[in-house]
Amino acid sequence: MVSRRYSPWALRFTTLTIVLIPVAVGINYIGKLFASALKLPLWLDSIGTVLSGMLAGPWIGAISGAVNNIVFGITADPISFWYLVTSIAIGLVVGYLAFTGWINTFGRAVVLGFVVALVAAVVSTPLNVILWEGTTGNVWGDALYTALMAKGWPVWLASFLDELVVDVPDKLATVVISWLIYRALPKRLVGLFSGRNEVESL
Amino acid sequence: MRLSLYVPGNSWVHRLDPLTKLIMAVVAVILVFVLPGYWASAALLAVSLGVLASGGVLRRSVPVFLGVSLIAITFFVVQGLVYPGNQHPALTLGPVTFYQEGLLLGLKLSLRLYNILAATLVLILLTNPSDLVESLVRRGVPSRFGYVVVAVLQMIPNMAATTGTIMDAQRSRGMETEGSLWTRMRAFIPLMGPLVTSSLIATEERALALEVRGFSGNRKPTFLHEEVIPPYAWAVRALYLAALILAIAGRWIG
Amino acid sequence: MTVIEVENLRYRYPQQAEPALDGVSFSVQQGEFIGIIGPNRSGKSTLCQALVGLVPHFYKGAIGGKVMVAGLDVHQHQVWEVCQRVGLVFQSPFTQMSGAKFTVYDEVAFGLENQGVARDEMVRRIERVLRLLGLWEYRDRNPFALSGGQMQRLAIASVLALEPEVLVLDEPTSQLDPAGTSEVFAAVSDLCRQGMTVVMAEHKVDRIAARADRVLVLHEGKSIAFGPPRQVFAREDLPALGVAIPPVTEVCRRLGWQLPDGTYPVTVAEAVQMGGAARGNHNS
Repeated sequence: MVSRRYSPWALRFTTLTIVLIPVAVGINYIGKLFASALKLPLWLDSIGTVLSGMLAGPWIGAISGAVNNIVFGITADPISFWYLVTSIAIGLVVGYLAFTGWINTFGRAVVLGFVVALVAAVVSTPLNVILWEGTTGNVWGDALYTALMAKGWPVWLASFLDELVVDVPDKLATVVISWLIYRALPKRLVGLFSGRNEVESL
Repeated sequence: MRLSLYVPGNSWVHRLDPLTKLIMAVVAVILVFVLPGYWASAALLAVSLGVLASGGVLRRSVPVFLGVSLIAITFFVVQGLVYPGNQHPALTLGPVTFYQEGLLLGLKLSLRLYNILAATLVLILLTNPSDLVESLVRRGVPSRFGYVVVAVLQMIPNMAATTGTIMDAQRSRGMETEGSLWTRMRAFIPLMGPLVTSSLIATEERALALEVRGFSGNRKPTFLHEEVIPPYAWAVRALYLAALILAIAGRWIG
Repeated sequence: MTVIEVENLRYRYPQQAEPALDGVSFSVQQGEFIGIIGPNRSGKSTLCQALVGLVPHFYKGAIGGKVMVAGLDVHQHQVWEVCQRVGLVFQSPFTQMSGAKFTVYDEVAFGLENQGVARDEMVRRIERVLRLLGLWEYRDRNPFALSGGQMQRLAIASVLALEPEVLVLDEPTSQLDPAGTSEVFAAVSDLCRQGMTVVMAEHKVDRIAARADRVLVLHEGKSIAFGPPRQVFAREDLPALGVAIPPVTEVCRRLGWQLPDGTYPVTVAEAVQMGGAARGNHNS
């Protein structure tokens, strides 16, 4: 039996994991900043959410994602507020899989990247369809959407593929980069975040 | 660099308490989806713009509206071309035909987009985010959550401020930031890595400092500043909620 | 009156083989200024954090022995309870800023709001500590717009606002320039003069020697000396163990300028006095 503290779903709400949340949002923002400064065709704006999931599990990952979109929603970009569901989903998935061994090797991290892309696309599609009939505002994705719709494909499928085309490269890169950074962190720090330790007597 | 677009001021909207403005924004956004037809949507947009104007921030909203105009254009283009309900041609440019139904849908979606934007700009431009958060914490939202949201507002400008120096430092060490896609992608990790690692390490120090100021106590907090709710705030809340109820009732009956 | 009592404190961080603190015992009287010195990794920070309960509650790990501070058994209480009686100031001014407040004035209120202090009391305490630390004129500034020394004084003020009986400082000047360092030492001395019990871990042994009532020397987690500065720094074994001693003391030792009780001067002022007397004797 896995002890409660080691379960991926344990509530790891300590001061340390809570302070991680704004830092994760900051990292999301910096990722977006560097990606646009380097003119990369990727958003790379979820590295913080992914890292917080890897370090502190699904709940903190989900909350980091939610806070990210809430804060940007009320300060600068109202549209991003609606996509908080996507960020929450990413945080949950990464947190759960990270705490069940899916970041032990590079190969597994790549698989995780694909899974995250799939989840992000699945969760965003209903939002896209409800809000704007399925387009994403991205050139390549919308071009695909237009082509498919012209051939008579159903809206939700065209929208899903539109979103997937955008998400696969972006989320794959995000998860791999986060994994590399995670592996380079001091073990002591990773242990602190994971909350696996207890107080013993000497 | 400031994260929020908040513009301080002294208009009647500014003097409303944050919760009232939150109600205004939420009701307006719900109305976007409940109100039928183009005229109702346009009227709602006019009301939101009116509120922004009376707050003196209409000018500041323009860049935000322009920023999404590209998305609005894609609505017209994409739906005009391929909306499944397209029947009557409206415009033909060479081999490409735009249809009435799709273009009208594009109009509807654009109105929706601008309405949502205008409604939330009342919150964004006219409310200090930390006042909004404190207002929620006063009413029962856990104070640790309030901390998290407000801390983001200061942390991001601080972190962003260091990115310029990091890029310069790395460039001076010979890192290429221009050129082929692969070159530019390779530059990403040496830029992100050190900053992220040092931020995560600093998290431990931050947590320690917060602990010794009672952060984990989880007690009901007190507030240094008092919240001022002007008398007319109640009238505004009642007005918006009444509009919402009427709209929903109208939709339900009609 | 004994305000700190540490008995056989032992502590080991998680996933470490060696203990960080290996049987440390000492006691501190009210109003004393205690300096903690020792080479790197000797356990200074660990000991400071053990006085507030961060060790063991924050880091977990294995702990033994007893720590009583201001009447509380630290191991039996949460950190947020202990921090009402004992304040802790850390090295880095920047990471001690909560980030949740936009003015110096509000920043001090952060801990008070957490503790549920009444508004009138908050206003009184904030003004008191800001004036005490010389920050009252900066009260409307953004905390991140202050200098290093000012930020560190703000950290001290924020902790003092909780009105502790003991103030612990863990190398508070190591990231400051000389001006900032002087500001902090002056502020801490003032507090001490007003009756606060202060425990400070420091590398700047000359400054500690000048102001501390007693000095605790740590080496590899053990306490190897505890006494007034002159006695401690007179010991022959310190340099070999990697413990810094004030340059003045080293010079006097080599010059053979010994004081009547067998110790050497630990401050420049003492040395000058001695040197003057020695030259006077020589001439007469």
